[in-house]
Amino acid sequence: MNATEISAEIRDANLSYLMLAQQMIRADRAAAIFRLGVSNEIAIMLEGLSNAQLLKLAGTNMMLIRFRFDDHAILGMLTDYNKDRALAHSHAAILMAGQPVEDMA
Amino acid sequence: MARKSVISEAKEIQLAIELIRLGARLQLLESETSLSRERLIKLYKEMKNVSPPKGMLPFSTDWFTTWQPNIHSSMFLNIHAYMVRHANLAGIEAVIKAYQLYLEQLPPAAGEVPVLSLTRAWTLIRFVDSRMLETAACTRCHGSFVVNTLDLHRDYACGLCHVPSRAGKTRKAREAALRYVPIAA
Repeated sequence: MNATEISAEIRDANLSYLMLAQQMIRADRAAAIFRLGVSNEIAIMLEGLSNAQLLKLAGTNMMLIRFRFDDHAILGMLTDYNKDRALAHSHAAILMAGQPVEDMA
Repeated sequence: MARKSVISEAKEIQLAIELIRLGARLQLLESETSLSRERLIKLYKEMKNVSPPKGMLPFSTDWFTTWQPNIHSSMFLNIHAYMVRHANLAGIEAVIKAYQLYLEQLPPAAGEVPVLSLTRAWTLIRFVDSRMLETAACTRCHGSFVVNTLDLHRDYACGLCHVPSRAGKTRKAREAALRYVPIAA
C-alpha cells in the first residue's frame, strides 16, 4: 500500500466515521455520546454539520478518529485476557465508561 | 391543588409504558409518575396481561456486592454516571437511558431475564444517593466498582481483576458447557 492509497483509505474512514457519528447523534444523542465517547459540545457540533462541511472535514489526509484506549490497562485487558471473552468485554466497558470524554479545549 | 394538564398526563403515561416495558415494578411506577395506583395497575395489566407482582421490593444492599451482580451493577452505575456527567440527563430519564445501554453491553441470554432488573437498577441509584453504597476504585484496573460504604476499601481489587475461585461456576453454566458443540475448524 503506497502513500496515495493510504490517504485515500484514511479519507474513506473519516467519511464513514463522520456519517455514522452524525446518524447516531441524530437518532439518540445521549446514547451516541456514550457510544462515541465524545462530549455534549462535540455531539452538538457534529449534529449540526451540513453535508458539504462533512465532506470538507473528511477530505483531510489525517485521521480524524483517535485511538480510545490510551490506558495500558484497558488495552492489555482486551488483547490478552486469559479468561472469558465476555468478561473481558464487560470489564473494558466498565473501564471505558469511567474514562474522560473527548472534549473541546 | 395544581390543575391537571392532559398533555403532562399523556407524557406520564408514556413514561409509565416505557418503564413497564423495561420491567419496572409497581412501586417504581408509583414513585416516578404521578398517576394513580389504580390507573397504573390497569396499564400494567393491559401491557403484560398479568397482575403486577405484589410484595416488597428487594431491599438488600448486599446483593450488589456479590460477584456477578456486582459486575452488572458496576456497569450500570458507570453508564449512569456518564449519562449524568456528559449527556445532561437527570432523574428517571438518566436511569432509563443508562439501563437501555446496560442491556446493550450485557445482553441477557436468549429466554433469560437480565441479571440487573430495572427496579434493582433504580434501587441501586437510590442506595448510592443515600450513601448506603458507593464506588471504590480498583487498585489494579482503576475502574470504579460498587462497594458497601462501611466496608474497608484500601487495596481494593475488583471482582474482575481478582476473580473468586468459584465465581460463575453455576449449574446453569455447567449445563450450557455440556450443550456446547465446538465448531469444526
